[in-house]
Amino acid sequence: MAAKLWWVIHKDLVSEWRGRQAWPAMLVLGIAVVLVFSFQMDLLPQQKPALVGGLLWLAVFFAGIFALDRSFAAEREAGCWDGLKLYPVSPSVIYLGKVIVNVATLSALECVLVPLFVALADVPLLERPGDLILIAALGNAGIAAVGTLLSALAAGVRRSGNLTVLLVLPLTIPVVLAAAEATRLMVAGDLGPAWWRWVQLLAAFAVVFTTAGTLLFELAVEE
Amino acid sequence: MMGTNPAAVEAIGLSKTLGPRPALCDVTLELAEGETVALTGPNGAGKTTLLRCLASVLRPSAGEVRWFGRPARSDPALRRHVGLLAHESLLYPHLTLREDLRFAARMYGVRDAAASADRWLRTIGLESFADRLSSQISRGMRQRVALARALIHRPRIVLLDEPFSALDAEGAAWLAALLGDLRAEGRTVCFATHDPERARTLGDRVVQLRSGRLFEVRDGASPGRAPAAARAA
Repeated sequence: MAAKLWWVIHKDLVSEWRGRQAWPAMLVLGIAVVLVFSFQMDLLPQQKPALVGGLLWLAVFFAGIFALDRSFAAEREAGCWDGLKLYPVSPSVIYLGKVIVNVATLSALECVLVPLFVALADVPLLERPGDLILIAALGNAGIAAVGTLLSALAAGVRRSGNLTVLLVLPLTIPVVLAAAEATRLMVAGDLGPAWWRWVQLLAAFAVVFTTAGTLLFELAVEE
Repeated sequence: MMGTNPAAVEAIGLSKTLGPRPALCDVTLELAEGETVALTGPNGAGKTTLLRCLASVLRPSAGEVRWFGRPARSDPALRRHVGLLAHESLLYPHLTLREDLRFAARMYGVRDAAASADRWLRTIGLESFADRLSSQISRGMRQRVALARALIHRPRIVLLDEPFSALDAEGAAWLAALLGDLRAEGRTVCFATHDPERARTLGDRVVQLRSGRLFEVRDGASPGRAPAAARAA
């Protein structure tokens, strides 16, 4: 099973690298959001740490939607979805493979956006890299788990449009909120019980959404 | 039914509704192990829907599909027995032919997937195109690769949707020979075709679908098979 999971991940990464259908749009949107926030919001230096968490995670969410949306749209467009369903593997392997690719994609996006925020908005996001990585890993897992499941659902019921964003947004608001709060407290240097509660909430979302996605995936993609 | 072994494929009361009208209506069909069945019928008759249901990539609205006596959806591992050539090629536009076949072989758990993929590329005569993307080759070539993809794990049940489409005369002759090989190896084959002559000559039985209903079943004229009446006697 682990080998087949790896081959699904490998196939998706190679396909996206060659096709470059989601990543360029995702990067452009993410950078644009950061630039707009940095140049248009005339904030005092002491106000920036309070806002940077929310702005960072909104940028990650909206830019990341491109990658989530492509997870299954690409399979459907090429008619390859039937091929995946033919393989003697549990549908959860396909789901987990797509979730891992989406987590990697969101992480790569953050590797670009965080330094950009630091450089342009002059906020100390990278002063506690370990804590930031923990928040990002859990936040990415929560967003990817929900987004992958709903992308599969949306790919089956539409021909065009951005149904994924409409479905994903309400469900991921708690994740984005928790990640934003945890990031804000981290930037403020407050790593006390309040910060820890937000991190625990993020972990709970990641576990619940991944488990639910694994269990519901087969139903979501049924024709 | 021949002997006491379960049929390789059983469709029991299959119905499927796609959109406003039924695509399949209460279709019951058995494919004995080693049998080659030709599926004919006009456009929209339900051939593709029936093959997708038989391959278990489409869940029927009613009824059940069994492979070797077991519900097709009872265990994902059963899918290793089934190969499907679909209406679309199922090839990834951004993978090379070699990568696509290797991916399929690995997902089916074929031993030495890389060598198997290369062997199939030689078999279908596309070794020199191995590093091209599927979007860079002709439709006939894609059909050959799709066939290789459907057969790379040596399935016992082979379901082919319009396998002769897009093939030139040489390709069609090659495919007819391949169907003969599959029959000789005892594999169960069901192929959809619009060509009644090809259905008669290559199939042990010819099954006709019209408006989603199984309309007619009659013997084909393929070599090495007694007529159904003789088999039943």
